[in-house]
Amino acid sequence: MTTTAPLLDPSDIALQSSALSLWFGARQVIDNVSVSIPKGRVTAIIGPSGSGKSSLLRCFNRLNDDIDGHRMQGKITLDGIDVHGPDLPVHELRRRVGMVFQRPNPFPMSIGDNVAFGLRLLGIGKGSERDGRVESALKSVGLWAEVGDQLDAPAMRLSLGQQQRLVLARAIAVEPEVLLMDEPSSALDPLSTLRFEELVHGLAGQITIVLVTHNIQQAARVSDYTAYLHGGRLVEFDRSDDLFSQPSERQTEDYLTGRYA
Amino acid sequence: MKVERGSTATWFASSSLSVLLLVTAAVLLLLLRNGLAPFWPADIVEFEVRSAPGATTVLGTITDEDAQAIIVDSGDALNTNGRYQRIALASIASRSTPADAYVAIGSDGSLRYDRAGRDGAALDAADITAVSTSYSNRLGAGEKLVVAVRQFARFVSTGPSAGGVLPALIGTVILVLLMSVVVMPIGIAAAIWLSEYAGNRGRARWVRAALTSLAGVPTIVYGVLGLGLLVHALGGAVDQLWFAQRLPAPTFGSGGLLWAALTLALLTLPVVVVSIENGLAGVPRRLRDGAMALGATRSEVLWKVLLPAAGPALLTALILAIARAAGAVAPLMLVGVVKLAPSLPIDGEFPYLHPSRQFMHLGFSVYDQALASGDAFDGVARAWSCALLLLLMVGLLNSSAILLRRRLDSRQRSLELVATA
Repeated sequence: MTTTAPLLDPSDIALQSSALSLWFGARQVIDNVSVSIPKGRVTAIIGPSGSGKSSLLRCFNRLNDDIDGHRMQGKITLDGIDVHGPDLPVHELRRRVGMVFQRPNPFPMSIGDNVAFGLRLLGIGKGSERDGRVESALKSVGLWAEVGDQLDAPAMRLSLGQQQRLVLARAIAVEPEVLLMDEPSSALDPLSTLRFEELVHGLAGQITIVLVTHNIQQAARVSDYTAYLHGGRLVEFDRSDDLFSQPSERQTEDYLTGRYA
Repeated sequence: MKVERGSTATWFASSSLSVLLLVTAAVLLLLLRNGLAPFWPADIVEFEVRSAPGATTVLGTITDEDAQAIIVDSGDALNTNGRYQRIALASIASRSTPADAYVAIGSDGSLRYDRAGRDGAALDAADITAVSTSYSNRLGAGEKLVVAVRQFARFVSTGPSAGGVLPALIGTVILVLLMSVVVMPIGIAAAIWLSEYAGNRGRARWVRAALTSLAGVPTIVYGVLGLGLLVHALGGAVDQLWFAQRLPAPTFGSGGLLWAALTLALLTLPVVVVSIENGLAGVPRRLRDGAMALGATRSEVLWKVLLPAAGPALLTALILAIARAAGAVAPLMLVGVVKLAPSLPIDGEFPYLHPSRQFMHLGFSVYDQALASGDAFDGVARAWSCALLLLLMVGLLNSSAILLRRRLDSRQRSLELVATA
């Protein structure tokens, strides 16, 4: 292992993978990755295409489980509890670990129903209480002022940037501890991207955020910690300030300076 | 293939497209013209004919004419020579369109041509009640239109005893609806299994191959299948079990609405399953992921996200099924369609819908009127009208489904925008 993981107190760790390896069929996509995601911080995962960033992210909420030929070794814990264990059913895991995807993916239903979707699924809240949670979720992503009076309108009518904030609200509504974000601004224009990054900043502290991005500047702008993945292996994991200014690994430096081929 | 402006390929493509449009327009126009013509009041012509003993007069409408002779439809009543009279052109002394000539349509659909100037008592003597009388020769275009609309309304709202096709229309609609009710749930279930649970190996491959082959089976084969499997085997068993007291008279053991609907459901199942499966496969992967990431189980994803998102595809499947079912007449002739059904398959008597009853069908009426009618001229004319009506009915059913689909689509329109962004 060539990681220089910052030392953390166990109570400060939200998510942890130990000796995690993942295969899809015969192809190994993650190779012996041990990483500890600090609680309440923004952790960026960067790396070239095909380095296993998204696959690693999807291990944390077990979204790889349904993929044909998927095989995993190692262990992942949420707050010290094995995510594959009997103490953490998968729907409970996914309530506690939410996710935002590359492309905005609102469901073909109304704005209000989109935000309430997770609440309804998990049987959280009733009637007015649910409405209240929808409202506060929309407020926390700054959408309430824009669409608060048209909750019945189809979500598909919103702009891409609004849609991405809507699905963020949908994820926040079930009050997760961790939010996984898989290149969440890759489909957005620069202004919407900036807006989204501000939201991520604002959410940190209350929620642990793991952000996969291929945008190095974005990682530097919003993250507290950064992990550099290459070919399925964790090359370096450090405070973002340190990693971006003085990478300790040659591979990381090459990637950051664009010498990576 | 890249088509360039002015190239042979462009020329070929555009000309075949125009041929296609022209043929479609021609078929529609022909159907409209011939289907509606019988309802338009024709001029009533009076011929004076030189014949051996002296002169006779023939009153009626011109059905057909050629270089030698005219065929006149002189109506049903009081006619010893039959309804149609062939008059050689050479023997015609005079022809006129008297203003006092009228056509009286009886409650049994029969026609009588007469002139008001003559003895009006003849009408009553014929022992029919005239339901409408029109002096066709006096009518202007607007009045003729009113008469035509009235005739058409009569045609679709009365039974065969009054010259109408209402039972056939009702039979067709009920059959298609019943077929839809049967085929949609089965089709949805099969499509869900294929797209969500079966993968692409072993059994699923066989099921797909079977569906593709089924889609290519000639419709008459389904008729035989329905007759042997549903009517005789299944219907016979049902009779033995529950209707034994009525045997040997069959209840479900002879062709009827239920078996016809099931036969059509079988016939349309392949196209329904394939189009729903495509619809489910077309739902973007990220919607599925999004629901899963919120903690939805597989069946919750299916019921709350996939099926609603595939709503337009379900309606497309329904439209295809209706189109295919309405066009299949051959199998129906084996499993329950009759020329003349004594009673409707739906009425005010409990249980209101009578699935064991034989029924009438517009598609069959087209065949029956055109080929098996005692009156060739009238029969062919009615066949056109039935064909037009069948087309209108399918068009109406389809456009309501399309309208519904458009409403669903508008909810998801930007789905495609995002997908291509």
